[in-house]
Amino acid sequence: MTGHMGDAADQRDQEDEEVRRGQEERLREVWAAPKGWRYWSAVNNTEVGVWYTALSFAFMLFAGVLALIMRAQLAVPENDLVSPSFYDQAFTLHGTAMMFLFAVPIFEAVAIILLPQLLGARDLPFPRLSAFGFWCFLIGGVFVMGSIFFGAAPSSGWFMYPPLTTDETYTPGYGPDIWLLGLSFIEVASLAAAVELIVGTLKCRPPGMRLNLMPLYAWYVLVVAGMILFAFPPLIAGDILFELERMFDWPFFDPSRGGDPILWQHLFWIFGHPEVYIVFLPAIALVAMIVPTFAQRPILGYSWIVLAAVGTGFISFGLWVHHMYTTGLPSISLGFFSAASEAVAIPTGVQIFVFIATLLTGRVIYSVPMLFVSGALANFVIGGLTGVMVALVPFDWQAHDTYFIVAHLHYVLIGGMLFPVAAGVYYYWPLVAGRKLSDRLGRIAFWLMFIGFNVAFLPMHFSGLAGMPRRVWTYPESLGVGTANLISSVGAFIFAAGILVIVWDVLRPRGNEPYAKRNPWNAGTLEWLVEMPGENWGVRSIPVVTSRYPIWEQPHFIEDVDKGRFYLPDAEEMKRETIITSVLDGTPLQCLRVPGPSFMPMVAAIFTGAVFIFTTFHWWAATVVAMVLAAISIMVWLWRGTALIPEKPEKDVGLGLKLPLYKSGPHSVGWWAMFITMMGDATAFLGLIFGYYYFFTIHADFPPPATVGPGVLWPSVAFGLFAVAWATALGSRLSNQAGRVGLARALMAAGAVVALAASAALLWGPYVTGLRPTAHVYPATVWVITIWTAAHGVAGSLMLGYCLARSLAGRMTPEHDIDISNVALYWHFVGFTVIVAVATLAYVPVLT
Amino acid sequence: MQVFGKTQDNLWTLIAAPTIWGFHFLFSYFLAAYRCAPNADIFKDIGGTRVAIAGVTIVCLLLILLILRRAWREWRAEGGGYQNAKDTPEARERFLEFSTLLLALLSLAAVLFETMPIFVFWDCR
Amino acid sequence: MRPRISAISALMLPVLSGCKGAQSAFDPAGVESERVLQLFWIMLAGGTAIWAVVIGLSFYASRGKTGPYSDRSGVRLIIWGGCVFPTVVLAGLLYWGLEIMPELRRPGDGPTIAVSGERFWWRVAYAVEGEPGVVRDLPRGGIPSANEIWIPVDKRTEILLSSPDVIHSFWVPSIAGKMDAIPGRVNRLVLEPTETGVFNGACAEYCGTAHALMGFRVVVVPEDEFEAYLEAQAQPAAVTDSPGLELFLQNGCAACHTVRGTPADGDVGPDLTHVASRLSIAAGILPTTVENLAAFIASPDHLKPGVEMPAFGVLPEDQIARIAAWLGTLE
Repeated sequence: MTGHMGDAADQRDQEDEEVRRGQEERLREVWAAPKGWRYWSAVNNTEVGVWYTALSFAFMLFAGVLALIMRAQLAVPENDLVSPSFYDQAFTLHGTAMMFLFAVPIFEAVAIILLPQLLGARDLPFPRLSAFGFWCFLIGGVFVMGSIFFGAAPSSGWFMYPPLTTDETYTPGYGPDIWLLGLSFIEVASLAAAVELIVGTLKCRPPGMRLNLMPLYAWYVLVVAGMILFAFPPLIAGDILFELERMFDWPFFDPSRGGDPILWQHLFWIFGHPEVYIVFLPAIALVAMIVPTFAQRPILGYSWIVLAAVGTGFISFGLWVHHMYTTGLPSISLGFFSAASEAVAIPTGVQIFVFIATLLTGRVIYSVPMLFVSGALANFVIGGLTGVMVALVPFDWQAHDTYFIVAHLHYVLIGGMLFPVAAGVYYYWPLVAGRKLSDRLGRIAFWLMFIGFNVAFLPMHFSGLAGMPRRVWTYPESLGVGTANLISSVGAFIFAAGILVIVWDVLRPRGNEPYAKRNPWNAGTLEWLVEMPGENWGVRSIPVVTSRYPIWEQPHFIEDVDKGRFYLPDAEEMKRETIITSVLDGTPLQCLRVPGPSFMPMVAAIFTGAVFIFTTFHWWAATVVAMVLAAISIMVWLWRGTALIPEKPEKDVGLGLKLPLYKSGPHSVGWWAMFITMMGDATAFLGLIFGYYYFFTIHADFPPPATVGPGVLWPSVAFGLFAVAWATALGSRLSNQAGRVGLARALMAAGAVVALAASAALLWGPYVTGLRPTAHVYPATVWVITIWTAAHGVAGSLMLGYCLARSLAGRMTPEHDIDISNVALYWHFVGFTVIVAVATLAYVPVLT
Repeated sequence: MQVFGKTQDNLWTLIAAPTIWGFHFLFSYFLAAYRCAPNADIFKDIGGTRVAIAGVTIVCLLLILLILRRAWREWRAEGGGYQNAKDTPEARERFLEFSTLLLALLSLAAVLFETMPIFVFWDCR
Repeated sequence: MRPRISAISALMLPVLSGCKGAQSAFDPAGVESERVLQLFWIMLAGGTAIWAVVIGLSFYASRGKTGPYSDRSGVRLIIWGGCVFPTVVLAGLLYWGLEIMPELRRPGDGPTIAVSGERFWWRVAYAVEGEPGVVRDLPRGGIPSANEIWIPVDKRTEILLSSPDVIHSFWVPSIAGKMDAIPGRVNRLVLEPTETGVFNGACAEYCGTAHALMGFRVVVVPEDEFEAYLEAQAQPAAVTDSPGLELFLQNGCAACHTVRGTPADGDVGPDLTHVASRLSIAAGILPTTVENLAAFIASPDHLKPGVEMPAFGVLPEDQIARIAAWLGTLE
């Protein structure tokens, strides 16, 4: 890995300025964003990441305005500034937007901007997937937030507890449907981002960047994306049950027909609590990048941060019931969650002490980002300590659903997320815009925010314990919390003024203000290779990394990168390229051609969004049309843009290294993406299965006696057919690989047909035994699991058909078999789904 | 992966200990939920459930200790230390071992925390 | 019925002067709220100290120190400050928190009262028999009342909670923590007051537009007064012959309300048999006066937006006044 200058210089004459200029021109052209109206077809992280970030901030400001309206209403007791129904919509959208449209998307957005820079990669492996995610986010977000202008917004709180939300009597109109379908759509986008970020972190690191040299931000991204992968699917499962109840009266949450409203709370909070850490960890990741820079030393306790991130990632999945301490669950169950809720404070504490230790052992330069970091620490520690308090069950019985919790969660989220993000804005602004933000305005903004925040939220601890429940549009004077609320309201406006100062600082006209110098904070990590202003290509050449802080520790690093002395200094074939490396040691494996601008992600997002929006309003015919168009647009996108057979098997990427241009199976990023997506998919499925066994547990008899299930015969037939379909998928991959293309094609065709038959047989079971899903929760649960599994069979059939078409079109050959190897992988997951589904539906009732 | 002697760490060995915690947590929760879910007879002793959880706890603690011991030995064998920022496979190995060690310690504490309820609650109240 | 009059009038004073009654975890008058407040003060003191040390340390580390410390001392700080100290403190705290619970949830030794959270009021039934459980409804029967719960002091009263519509949460901060009232489930909460008096309660789980105005009163009295109260509440209405009653029946009020001893037997809204004996109407938001009753009948949604009761403002004012006057006699 060392001695990089010699060979390359000889072969390419990299030291010749003319040569370099030619390379730069080619790179610039290849990576340029499209012009004019075509600009919106851009997919590069430098464009999509910025749109994504700007949009999340816009939603944040909107949700902030809603918060100010609420604070104005609560400023004095028995106020009637806004109507109760508007107030209800305001707090619902405030919470919803802050969580789903700001806190999570901003992580994805910032990661899309930063991750490639941090990894010295030209782009993430699936830029079009990022673009698709962005367009989904835009459509879903505008749909949900726009509803308030029509007075049709959801109004039952951001966690949407049934039966209030599932019963049309209590929530007439489209509010809950808009919430469910709009956000489900955004959740899909989040999962897409998670896939992108996991593969990006594991496979797109620069050569030489071993696991122990990865920037901490990348560790956090890896952990958080993994958490999204397991946290969002249960909510998607919950959304499915919820919407089936709301639209078709399937009684999952209706106790009069065997359902239970608490199931929703489980599914929601299995998502909802990890969510808090999904929001918090990426913000702390920014702090982990900022602190070493201003302490002018590498982080002290790198492994400890990794411990904390991974440990928090795990334990955060064992906390969900602490939102449900007052639902009457047995004490012993509450005890387990209380224990995990206390345990999670340990890794959190470790992170804080790592930062303090790094500062203690460094020479600290105190600047605006550091100011925000200190503010974050001061506020977050308060939120953490109140978190330790409410994790104790008896205390939570008092504090739950009061303003104490409102205070606690805002200290955690604003202290643990918004302040670090503000620090990140000041720190990373030069990377985005080439200029620093104003130091003076930054200080003003900080103090307004810091003081305003504490003035607003500290008194809420008191209001809550003094008897003020949350989500009240007014309160009586006799409650004695009038003064506290007035102070809170004043603080909220001071806080908002601070935010406005930042907005002004970001948006104010710059005139001829000069660009910042390169690496303006003298940081040590790769993202600061960026030029001021930045180039779309990211890095001039993809460096060999041998340390955690290459700019500090590797001599002439910036110069070597700039002079193209590392990998891929050129774009000879005028293609966008980046390097794929191995997970453990970052050994170069492949030169990946990444796709360029395309409108297909936008088109696919529009049609997919249309499916969700039309469903909301029960426009069924339009829904079906949109569904077909969405499927076609995704197929077209995949057909034209993925698994392209390169013009040559390998290319010289510089430094005498030749890398293949095509890899399939576990060596390809597509395989990893499929694997990760299907992990999420399997998790959603397990969410549905959890529902089944949940009902099994709470009912003395489940299935209810005298109820006919789907029987054993048809599920068994389906099981056999699915086994055959799975075998054909596997067989076609193996025979194609072995060069027996004819056999492979025959197997694909057979598999596609058998998969359809298998799905039909599975659906036939409950149909022929006459299970009515509206009658009781048991048939409803059977149907939802059956439909889920059958839908996977149908999708698997389409995929086999797609592979057959690819093979016939010559786009898939024995050597170039990404498509079938990914589809075979998909079928392994279908196999797992079928085994669990059939065992649960057909065999478990027989055994018990 | 060998249990004794030299082994190569990777991301899966890194998360082995917290995965055991996860298993322990889910087992305890599901068993107690299954036992107590009908919510009837809430003052009836649930000794069997508690013993079962205690048994699983011991197995989980032993497994975590095994991971801890392996990570500790290999990390110490190379002199320990917190410097693992070098560009060598050994440094990467030391880093993974040390992180595994820390995660095992955290998981150990978390499993112990998770066991406390069975000493406090005797029934389903 | 007689002996409790003095107690009532003594209690009415603070109530009538603006519905004042303790609704604060800072004014504990029950075993649970006292223990929890103690827990809170200790955690607050400990938390403040920890916060001060952490923030002081970070301030010192970034601005105060004269030169960088050695890595060794930094690592030591992480180990002791970041790992060992929190683990030990959290383990102790967790044990303490857990250990309180079985005691707070131990069996009651007082009456069992069924409370049903309904949009947007509380249905109360004394002297019921039943158990908590899942896929279950509250026990039927008992002596009905609404929005006001009398309990004996120094006794462990079992409150059985459920709901026929949406999730509510029953909270009397001065006496105990809260417990949800969930459709299809019967939850159990034990109230063990240590002082007599009137305490305010609220719905803590968002249940719809009028959620903010879904309060109730808990009246804690000595045990003999409690018995007398029950006996009185079990009686039929005091006045069953009045022009107000006629109007009440004519205008359909009886479709929703029961007044025992009269033909009114509706089961949708609160039982009004002894409405005038209660401290408040409209689920804890207005003191019980004839004027307030009249105002609420005329336009309930004005006083309590989102309320389910329809407005009777179309009735002539004198009719409303007569209905209210009759209700005002139902002690």
